[in-house]
Amino acid sequence: MPSEFQITFEGRSIAAREGQSVAAALIAAGERCLRIDEAGNPKGAVCGIGFCWECRCSIDGVPDIRACMTPVRPGMIVRRQRGLDGCNDR
Amino acid sequence: MAAAIEGVRRGCRVTVIDEGPRPGGQIYRQAHPALPGEEFAEPAELDRKHRLLSAFQAVVERIDYRAEATVYAVFPNGEIHLAQGDRTEVLRPDAMIVATGVREQAIPFPGWTLPGVMFAGGAQSLLKAQRVLPGRNAVVAGCGPLPLVVAAQMLRAGGRVAAVASLRSLRTMLRHPRSLWRGRSILLEGLRYERTVRRAGVPELMGYVPVRAIGGERLEAVALARVDREGRVVPGTERRIACDLLAINYGFVANSELVAMSGAEMRRDPLIGGWLPVTDDYGRTSVPGVFAAGDGAGLRGALVAECDGTIVGAAASLSPTAVDGAALRAELAETIARRARHLDFQQAVRATLRLPIGIWRLVTDDTIVCRCENVHSSEIREALESGHRSLNALKRNVRSGMGWCGGRTCLHAIASLAELATGEAPSEMMTPRPMVRPVPFAAIARQKKAAAE
Repeated sequence: MPSEFQITFEGRSIAAREGQSVAAALIAAGERCLRIDEAGNPKGAVCGIGFCWECRCSIDGVPDIRACMTPVRPGMIVRRQRGLDGCNDR
Repeated sequence: MAAAIEGVRRGCRVTVIDEGPRPGGQIYRQAHPALPGEEFAEPAELDRKHRLLSAFQAVVERIDYRAEATVYAVFPNGEIHLAQGDRTEVLRPDAMIVATGVREQAIPFPGWTLPGVMFAGGAQSLLKAQRVLPGRNAVVAGCGPLPLVVAAQMLRAGGRVAAVASLRSLRTMLRHPRSLWRGRSILLEGLRYERTVRRAGVPELMGYVPVRAIGGERLEAVALARVDREGRVVPGTERRIACDLLAINYGFVANSELVAMSGAEMRRDPLIGGWLPVTDDYGRTSVPGVFAAGDGAGLRGALVAECDGTIVGAAASLSPTAVDGAALRAELAETIARRARHLDFQQAVRATLRLPIGIWRLVTDDTIVCRCENVHSSEIREALESGHRSLNALKRNVRSGMGWCGGRTCLHAIASLAELATGEAPSEMMTPRPMVRPVPFAAIARQKKAAAE
């Protein structure tokens, strides 16, 4: 894996480093809102260590993946889930 | 780690099931080797970390070390069910040591669900293991030593800290002079963090809490105010501070769902809440073969946890008669003494985490308490008034604790709200049921399919 590469978040190109979590790369790029919940509340990373599940995103078409627990990969496509729409491409 | 090292030393077959991608847990969390940068902790703490990690690394080849694996259920018959990737597996060990640690707690307030409000330990994790600043301009709020440490580390990493709001002064530790003396080296580390914050000119607001997080799609500012012991805001003290990160921590409760599920007798921690397994000095629970070690057996900090791990690892490796014999106590005498010394210091630290029950009046009716299910404080109050007093009854009636996090984020707040409203804390945990962590259905189906073939 190259040490620096790009991932995409909501169509926007984000710089990432090998070894970072998706949450870390997004936060470093200034992103905070990772999800809109069923009540319309914007949500982001809270606990940072995988127990709250607030940071869950659609990653490469698979929904409900915790951004804080998932390492970035080159070309990864990350999308915000909106309500019950998990951006599920399977 | 300490328990595994001891188990290997005594000739046991050891399996470690670690949720993380590499050893270290939370306190000694390691960054990925490819990430540049440094951790802004005190050198003595980093020494302890590297020493323990090296000792574990020296024996890891002799351990069945499962990374990114999650135990989602244990049963009274001794079965451990775990998920790793897209597979599940059942283990049937002779002994199980549950060392699942603690999780952070918050006092919910309006707007706390805005992106940019994080647990302080989570912000620290981004700093130390991910080598990114969790925010450009932070406010840190809470009680106990952690908020000060996180503020200091953020400053050392080049971030800006607009204010530190501490519910009570760490000077309460001075009420335990003997305890402080025992832990004087750790105390010095703490004082160095405090110096970093003071020298940066960061205002330290004593007795202040966040009363409102402000923002549209993300955090833009926080309103802090001073509160009295009854959780009532002191008029005229509210001040608004612009920030993009609000890092909060109001203590820790044990991740005790698994040990409770095994059938172990549990007790409530009267000081800081949450439920702990009833254990003896060797970490034995009421269920033969089930042990608890570290913070998950009682919040006592990293130094106690390491000694505890060695002691419990030894006990888990031996027959019960050997554990009760004088020989083991003599063998472990030095570790037991060290544990007692560190425990002594922790008395002073624990005192800083005690919250008066009245403080929970801060949780206004319109505050979301269960974030996963969007349950407001008013709904919980109404359910309590209708006579639903137990955490199970509240779950059934308002859905609190039924979401993705399984109550990890909200249950302590709900138990405290119940205690405030009724005068009595709930006597029982919310019954832990499989799965204590979300597991992909396909992983379970695969196990069933494999079993059938």
